Amino acid sequence: MPDITLADTEGELYEVFHQKARGEHHVHVGAVHAASPELALVLAKEQYARRLACVNLWVVRARDIHASDYIDADMFDHATDKSYREAFGYKVVGKTRAQAQTRDRDD
Amino acid sequence: MTNLDAAVLKPLLFSLADDEVVIGHRNAEWTGHGPLLEADIAFSSMAQDELGHAQAYYALLHELGEPEPDRLAFLRSASAFRCAQLVELPRGDWAFSLIRQCLYDAAEGERLAALARSRFTPLAQAARKFAGEEKYHWLHARTWVEQLGRADDGRGRLQQALEQVYPYALGLFEPAEAEAELVALGVKPAEAELEQAWRERLTPVLAAAGLTLPAAAPIYGGRRGQHTPHLAALLNDMQLVFRSDPEAVW
Repeated sequence: MPDITLADTEGELYEVFHQKARGEHHVHVGAVHAASPELALVLAKEQYARRLACVNLWVVRARDIHASDYIDADMFDHATDKSYREAFGYKVVGKTRAQAQTRDRDD
Repeated sequence: MTNLDAAVLKPLLFSLADDEVVIGHRNAEWTGHGPLLEADIAFSSMAQDELGHAQAYYALLHELGEPEPDRLAFLRSASAFRCAQLVELPRGDWAFSLIRQCLYDAAEGERLAALARSRFTPLAQAARKFAGEEKYHWLHARTWVEQLGRADDGRGRLQQALEQVYPYALGLFEPAEAEAELVALGVKPAEAELEQAWRERLTPVLAAAGLTLPAAAPIYGGRRGQHTPHLAALLNDMQLVFRSDPEAVW
């Protein structure tokens, strides 16, 4: 992966994850430069939680992230049609509705 | 409570509002000038918090018969301001502004915690509402101070700023007009009590950063309308647009 550690005095890059309510997933919203994880959290609050509702923030040192390489992006391609894997292939809503109607009629 | 005399409350509310509007203006001067973009945004954003608090205090004054908040902020001259001289000092370098923010917000935190129990209910409600923002301001200040205190250069600059700012910071606790009466009525705690709590809050944070509180005599006067020439210069900037057409609708 590319080296994203900064050589200047702005500290390191921290990726920021934002949680809008307890129980929800933390969602990646951006990054901040900071000299320590504590300072990264302090700065992330004003960058990413000043407008959105927020109950919790995570910061993760960007260099701790293991990433795949774009040169290998072809391994994500599907050589043959695999649309059967895609969730929208399932007509779950229609199916359950039909079952409910059948049940109503039988009752 | 309703049987409190407006004349007794007003100087207190002016001191709270004027501290906030002036420190808010000073900290907003970092917009575009912070040591890094993130720091710049955080400082400017906290400045907006302080201006919001000032507006709420001015609104309380308006309910007690004073002019509207904008007119209180933008049409009074320096001698009518009741802010401590600490907040009017020029922003200086990053170390100076940070140390000032640290000393100021430590005081603010203690003051609001005490005012949350004020017998003047609208003030108690405001204090409780501001608690979350002030919690962040304090976290911001102490995290920066602890961080910069880890290196000799940073620690040296912070200590130097601390020596300059400290006598002015003590001026935050200049007893208010009608202090004895306000304390007896349960509107506010005694300034001496706040100053003690402030010192207890600050000492471990400064110690962790390798800093020591200087011994100095307080610089008073701000609460009685005595100011450094810096306040008039600041107001000249801050009030320029409003004064050019006070009746304009924005």
